[in-house]
Amino acid sequence: MIRFEGVSRRYGEQVAVDRVTLEVPRGSICVLLGESGSGKSTLMRMVNRLVEPSAGRVLVDGRDVAGAEPEALRRGIGYVIQSVGLFPHWRVGDNIATVPRLLGWDAARVARRVDVLLDLVGLDAALFRDRFPHELSGGQAQRVGLARALAADPPLLLMDEPFSALDPGTRRGLQSALREIHAETGKTILFVTHDVEEALTLADTLAVLDQGRLVAQGSSASLLQEAEKGPVRRIFGKESLAFHRLATLPASSLARPEDARQDLPMLPADASLKQALMLMLAEGSACLAIPAEGAFPGGTLHWADLVAPR
Amino acid sequence: MILLLGNLLLFLVALAAAPRLGWLWQALFPGISRPVWDSQSWFALLAEHLMLALGATLIAALIGLSAAILATRPAGRALRPLLDSMFSLAQAVPPIAAIALALPLMGFGAAPTLLALVLYAALPVMRSAVAGLDAVPAAVLDAARGTGMGPGRILAQIELPLALPVIQAGLRVALVLAIATTAVGAVAGARCLGTPIVTGLANGNLSWVLQGAVFTAWLAVIADQALRLGLDPERRRSNGRLAPAR
Amino acid sequence: MEPQPVAVLHATERREASAAPREATAVAVLTALAALAPFLLGFLSVAPNRLLSPRLVPLPVTTATTLCLGLFLVACLAVMLLARRAPLLNWAEAAAALALCSLVAVIGLAAREALQGASPVARAAPAAGLWVAMLLLALAAGCCAAGRSGTPRNFMALSVLGLAVLWAAGALADLSLAREAMARGGEIRLAFWQHLALAGGALFLALAVALPLSLLALRRSRVEALLMAVANGFQVIPSIALFGLLMGPLAALAAWAPALRGWGIGGIGPAPAVLGISTYLLLPLASAFLAGLRVASPAVIDAARGQGLTEGAILRQLRLPLGLGVMAGGVRVAAVQAIGLATLAALIGGGGLGALVFQGIGQLATDLILLGVLPVVALSLLADGGCAALQAALERRR
Repeated sequence: MIRFEGVSRRYGEQVAVDRVTLEVPRGSICVLLGESGSGKSTLMRMVNRLVEPSAGRVLVDGRDVAGAEPEALRRGIGYVIQSVGLFPHWRVGDNIATVPRLLGWDAARVARRVDVLLDLVGLDAALFRDRFPHELSGGQAQRVGLARALAADPPLLLMDEPFSALDPGTRRGLQSALREIHAETGKTILFVTHDVEEALTLADTLAVLDQGRLVAQGSSASLLQEAEKGPVRRIFGKESLAFHRLATLPASSLARPEDARQDLPMLPADASLKQALMLMLAEGSACLAIPAEGAFPGGTLHWADLVAPR
Repeated sequence: MILLLGNLLLFLVALAAAPRLGWLWQALFPGISRPVWDSQSWFALLAEHLMLALGATLIAALIGLSAAILATRPAGRALRPLLDSMFSLAQAVPPIAAIALALPLMGFGAAPTLLALVLYAALPVMRSAVAGLDAVPAAVLDAARGTGMGPGRILAQIELPLALPVIQAGLRVALVLAIATTAVGAVAGARCLGTPIVTGLANGNLSWVLQGAVFTAWLAVIADQALRLGLDPERRRSNGRLAPAR
Repeated sequence: MEPQPVAVLHATERREASAAPREATAVAVLTALAALAPFLLGFLSVAPNRLLSPRLVPLPVTTATTLCLGLFLVACLAVMLLARRAPLLNWAEAAAALALCSLVAVIGLAAREALQGASPVARAAPAAGLWVAMLLLALAAGCCAAGRSGTPRNFMALSVLGLAVLWAAGALADLSLAREAMARGGEIRLAFWQHLALAGGALFLALAVALPLSLLALRRSRVEALLMAVANGFQVIPSIALFGLLMGPLAALAAWAPALRGWGIGGIGPAPAVLGISTYLLLPLASAFLAGLRVASPAVIDAARGQGLTEGAILRQLRLPLGLGVMAGGVRVAAVQAIGLATLAALIGGGGLGALVFQGIGQLATDLILLGVLPVVALSLLADGGCAALQAALERRR
């Protein structure tokens, strides 16, 4: 869906993005992870030409974006930013309708679309459609921001640290909402964050940037397995590396094929090892039962297996 | 609104009545032989005053707004220091000085006043418009560009509406300034409500001075009142706003 | 007033060295136009006597005028080049002052040449080129200072110094403006001091009213609302109308108590002017005082109260020292306004430099108008620069 081919961006002497080559498959969530100043936002803003590359090219659907007219290109790509950037003098409904109106949809179609989108992002259309942005909480505002980005049903969504300014509870709520929306709509999403936890929660593929260079890419699990090198290890936080790794492994992979004992705390079959650890700590139990589901026959997870060297 | 209309009506009635109130002026200024201003109709003076002040404000608003828009575009960045320095220089030259300096070049009449008016009224409009446009949050502009709005559309639909309250405050300052400066222009031969003041001062006729002063001040107050009412964005926006949910 | 090179050097060191600041373009265009202006609009005009209208004359070529003209052009070029480097903007200002002084010298020397052998009533005046060039150079210097959001004080100080030197050396004596000034020396000096007295008196009166009221308003929100409403209301009334409105009551007051006339209080004279001017100063003073007194944040005041400081101690030790810079900013605005408004005092017999201006308007005499306007502008710029320096010093000390 998106291909970066040897893309660089220099500001005078400074190199913000340094020869990055990266492919984002259609329908996946690709997270660009890096510390502030690592060039992740700059890289993303080249997709909708808010930043022009100094070298290399960016392809969307096989076409070089440099050949597209910027405004038309942007109308076909959803864009969500950390500070939301809702237009303060427009109502929620007008904000969401921005791109459909730019595209010349008729009023009735716009109105229907606004209601569908508010529903999709989990806001009551009747209650929120006519509010002004200053009447929304931070989480509600970002839900509206997401709805605005999705308004014209673009196949591609760019999200620049969209949840970073929100408090942890709200952030988790929006993360799961995003996952659901992704499952429902199958959009390709390029997501920028500096939050490792968030990256691991959302990413199908992960790309780690450090000082403008792409230092690692792949699935969360494979990255964590190889995370012994300098920058990746530092960005993930070497103290919590093992913990993050647990989050990427399914609990069922270490379960012993015993009959699940009824007196043990139950763990859902699709849970990760991190969730298993949390449950053990919470329940004070060294064993957990995992019920059968799909191809998995059911079993028991033991503390000893969890801490055994792998 | 009712207050404004009432005030305006009272003003017009007073203008019509002033020449017929000879007994009042006589009582106030017993030593003056011709206490009633009758050289020109008050309404003619008012019309000329308004035409000068409003016309100049209109031109000034166009100039000031264009300069501000230009100076806030990336290409017009170099204009900023010039605007700043013009503003601080103009503050050191009182409007009457500008009128006086333009007088030998342009002769007696409304022309020097008009020039000074436009110069002085353009500055507050420009300054407030620059401030208003600068204050539009960067995130809003980024989002607007990201949704695919072009520069012209962003200016018309996002930047100007958001800067409007500040621009309007500047416009108000400009109009009040224009009405005051027009009155001073009477010194250089501009016919306006200031004319009776200047003529009265020249002839030692305090009655004319008082009448001119009352009507000039009254007009300024009405103009200010009207602009506050007509241009109050808070009032306008809250009319259409739903009750806050939280 | 001459800026010390050491201070300039310090200022330049503090700023980051970088190529072509954003001021460069505006400064270059303005200076280039300033350099062209006298060539396009003329240097000098000569009239056979005071009544006939002046006509442009070509610049007399002598060694002295050529030298000064060369200096003017070189200085203009220097302004353009120096403004291309941010650390050198101060020196660009100085070069602009040099350009201004050398152009004035050109015209002064040219006037002497042009009047040689002419009748004693013949007059030589600078043509529009000089005025336009001066305006453009002042704007260019202002642009140089805009980067540090200050007044072009180097330019102003050096220009005043340079012009004073030219005057003392007699290089300007043959310009009609100078002749007029010589002829009216006493009148101008009197008007100047009257002007200062009017502006100073009004500023003092406004300070005496605004300061206690601001202190009171700090604690009583109703006093604040009333003070601000009154101060704002006065701003709307045109000054000429307010002066006129004050004349009647003050005349009545003087008629009722003739003793007051001895103090200069009456319908005509300085009293209504001072009173009128001071009402316009209430708004800048009161709003800056209130803002200044509130620079100390509520948290700081709360902490101070918690440690047992009295309200008086909080005012003296926290509010005043922290807010002095902001308050000085209000005095700066008020001082400049007072000097400008005092020009109108002459209309109601209050005297001041406005008297020269209005006399000049009556006679349509450019020289007389300039003799009134130029000192007003100089005074305003001086007051603005002086207060700005004070403000900066107070804010640095914080």
